[in-house]
Amino acid sequence: MQLIKHAFKTWMLWELVKGLALTMRYFFKPKITVEYPEERTPLSPRFRGLHALRRYDSGEERCIACKLCEVVCPALAIVIESEEREDGSRRTTRYDIDMTKCIYCGLCQEACPVDAIVETQHFEYASETREALYYTKDMLLDVGDRYESQIAANIEADAKYH
Amino acid sequence: MTTLFINEEEVTVSSGTSILEACRTHGADVPYFCYHPELSVAANCRMCLVEVEGWGKPAASCCTPVGEGMRVTTHSESLSKDREMIMEYLLINHPLDCPVCDQGGECKLQDYAVEHGPDHGRYKEIKRAVVDHNLGPFVSTCMTRCIHCTRCVRFADEIAGTGDMGVLNRSDHMRIEGVVEDALASELSGNLADICPVGALLDKPSHDVSRPWEVKRHKSTCTQCPQGCDIVIESRGDEVIRIKPDHDMGESWICDRGRYVHDSFRSDARILTPSIRTDSGMQVVTWDAAVEKTVNLLKDKRVGIVFSPDWSIEGLTSIRLLHDRIFKDAKVAFDLHRRDMRPFAFEEGFGMTPENIVAADEVVILGSDLRQRLPILMQGLRKRSFSDKPVTRIGAMNYRTNSELTHDALIRPREWGAVIARAMQQLKDLGKTAAGMDAWLLAVPERHEAGKLLADALLADSCALLVGEEIRSHADAAALIHGLDLIARASGHGEEGRDARNLIPEGMNASLLSAVFGDIRTSVSDLFDAAHDGELDALLLIGSDPLGDGLFSMQAKRAMGKVPLVQVGAVAGDVSEYADVMLPASAYSEVDGTFINMSGNVRNADEPLSTLGEGRPLWKVMMRLIQGFDVDVPAVDVREIRTLVQGYLPSLAVLWSDCVDDTWHMPVARQKDAIFLPTGIEPVMALDVISRYSMYREGAWVRASKSLTEAGHIRALDDVLLHPNTLQAAGLKPGACLVRTASGDFTFDVGVRDDVVEGVLFIAKRGIAGDLSCEVMASLGGGQ
Repeated sequence: MQLIKHAFKTWMLWELVKGLALTMRYFFKPKITVEYPEERTPLSPRFRGLHALRRYDSGEERCIACKLCEVVCPALAIVIESEEREDGSRRTTRYDIDMTKCIYCGLCQEACPVDAIVETQHFEYASETREALYYTKDMLLDVGDRYESQIAANIEADAKYH
Repeated sequence: MTTLFINEEEVTVSSGTSILEACRTHGADVPYFCYHPELSVAANCRMCLVEVEGWGKPAASCCTPVGEGMRVTTHSESLSKDREMIMEYLLINHPLDCPVCDQGGECKLQDYAVEHGPDHGRYKEIKRAVVDHNLGPFVSTCMTRCIHCTRCVRFADEIAGTGDMGVLNRSDHMRIEGVVEDALASELSGNLADICPVGALLDKPSHDVSRPWEVKRHKSTCTQCPQGCDIVIESRGDEVIRIKPDHDMGESWICDRGRYVHDSFRSDARILTPSIRTDSGMQVVTWDAAVEKTVNLLKDKRVGIVFSPDWSIEGLTSIRLLHDRIFKDAKVAFDLHRRDMRPFAFEEGFGMTPENIVAADEVVILGSDLRQRLPILMQGLRKRSFSDKPVTRIGAMNYRTNSELTHDALIRPREWGAVIARAMQQLKDLGKTAAGMDAWLLAVPERHEAGKLLADALLADSCALLVGEEIRSHADAAALIHGLDLIARASGHGEEGRDARNLIPEGMNASLLSAVFGDIRTSVSDLFDAAHDGELDALLLIGSDPLGDGLFSMQAKRAMGKVPLVQVGAVAGDVSEYADVMLPASAYSEVDGTFINMSGNVRNADEPLSTLGEGRPLWKVMMRLIQGFDVDVPAVDVREIRTLVQGYLPSLAVLWSDCVDDTWHMPVARQKDAIFLPTGIEPVMALDVISRYSMYREGAWVRASKSLTEAGHIRALDDVLLHPNTLQAAGLKPGACLVRTASGDFTFDVGVRDDVVEGVLFIAKRGIAGDLSCEVMASLGGGQ
């Protein structure tokens, strides 16, 4: 009996039919493929992408050069230099992040006492040269300015879990 | 001795020790803010509470002396609760701005808040804010952070002796106030930032620049004065952030000069690359080209070498090697303050250790502004007043000290002989004599009553004579020092162990210099005069800046431009303007070197910073020059240099062996045959000239430092100072006056001050007046 069953399956190409059936099932199922870049997946508010330096509503930069992000950074990607500004406040004169070193762990964001350095949901900044990945203070502030509304919304969304 | 139990462990300490000190020495951790081992006990932070068995309440351990059989507990549940409450109380008004506070990361309040404090604050009301003060160029304030431990107030009262910090009001209105005009009056003010346990008093020059975890610490030696304090240089990358006293080596304080000179390490005044003068100014060249040019300028020429005493032993030896190999007939000079080049009966250097001086029964300061010269030693002498030990001073200027002087005699420099003769006479009358006294006494007919103070002090069991620049720079210094040597020996203070003779040197390595260069040194003024008169063909300046420092700027100025000048050094001074070749050498913070301080102790600096630019250690530069002259190089590494030093000074062999310990010291040279009788300098003019030594101005490093220069401006005096009576007697008023000297007439802004002795012209050395320093006498020629 076994032998007959086996012979039948072999001659009727049963495995082939089974495989094709699966193919057909997927063929008619709704697709999950996202047509990037025309389509995008949703991102968590905690997504850790490109860094940004934020400002207060008054336009004043938030960073106070406490250097906690610099010291917590496990990849030593951040370099900060600071001095006293004319009005007596402590400010950075240099705030560089080397994106080629960064491992996007988010510790800088966690360490920051004033929510100045944040990781945005922006991740499309690939470049053809290494130099373009060495972000300076101006570039980071510029990222912050461009994505401020998004950053603020993300922090708001995440606030209740803190 | 008292035996007690700390956390069930039996410990024995000397009676009268506080519980806190007993705990500290035996490794039991007790938190505290207001206690400081060098300061009096205030017991106002209440953080150091401990439990003593049988006592109803916890005790403040800093002010509770130990008792026999006491059972002390430093950690318990109830103490934790007490400490938590105290922390909560201290933090009520503290702004919690740790991220912007320079103290953050090395702050006691921060550490204890983590260790002992509550995890959240309950205080929701408005915090108080306090106005900041301007305390001058060294200390910045953020008084809102203050927790009122009063360490700074006690420091200003007890250590600095200026009392310019104080407390106003009480309870919530309590404020620490700085009673200052332009700046804190103390020369130790930088220590305030160190002792403040929170971020209320901070270091101004390094404000907002770095964080404590970023800095690398290099143990080194300060060469800014002959004391040679052990320091820790904190650097970040190439930049020097701060200099602090090395607490591990027992240094509690360092002076502002040694602390704030660091901004010159990285200033524009540094010589970074070899350069030669061309028609269009200084041009950077390679080492080879610069050495070739130097060789062209110096080869087969009559050369004058002037160097700074502050190089390391290795550097100084290499200068001697250069002299011996290449310039055998060169004139060599290094002491910019010495007029009399005859050998001294006791050479520059201390016969006593600073500890012995502080502990001596009698201390006599002879003609020195000790507070500016050796601030840390003066601080030690200040401690004497707490135990009612006398300090006597004899000199031509009532220098402001931070300590009360028991006796203070003001004399004119021409009276030094009479002062010593008066002391000698008294000792002789008491039957204390030394061979040669009679001849000395005969040579000086006058007697000055100030000598009684000197003789009385010498009659004590232990005595320290601190012979300062007024005698060392005296035109008849060798005779005066011979006189002092006689009276010291006559009174029994010439023997080993009771030696009272201390001659304050020009800079570091004094005892080494007189041993290694004693046979070839000449006077700086002779050297420059020779250059001016065409007796020298070229000058080689090694780290010395005779235009800015010392007494002979006028002679130096005349010589500059007459002959080619090669400058080797780390920092460009006023002479760089005339240099034809500049060769960079490493700064004292950048060499692996050995130094000898005024007491003959060895100071090692073996954790150097990286050298800036193309600078090389001085000994390498010297060897490169020797090589340039096609002579075999005597040493190719620092160990060989150290072997060669022993050729000049065999006793140094022990220095770099493993058996050298802290007690080894190099004895100061004593020259029994340096017998000179006072000649009596003809008083051809009415006024004696003495010049000021300002710790904020003297030295090329200091002048290159911005913060010290600012402090110097704050403490600047008129060009020339006179006693009001002197000016009145001449019928003149303060202002522009004509000053007549042997080398010509000059017009200066003359000010008056009671501190100057009548008949003395005090040169505050600002601006051009420094040129007068070389004069011994002057007279007033009338106002304009």
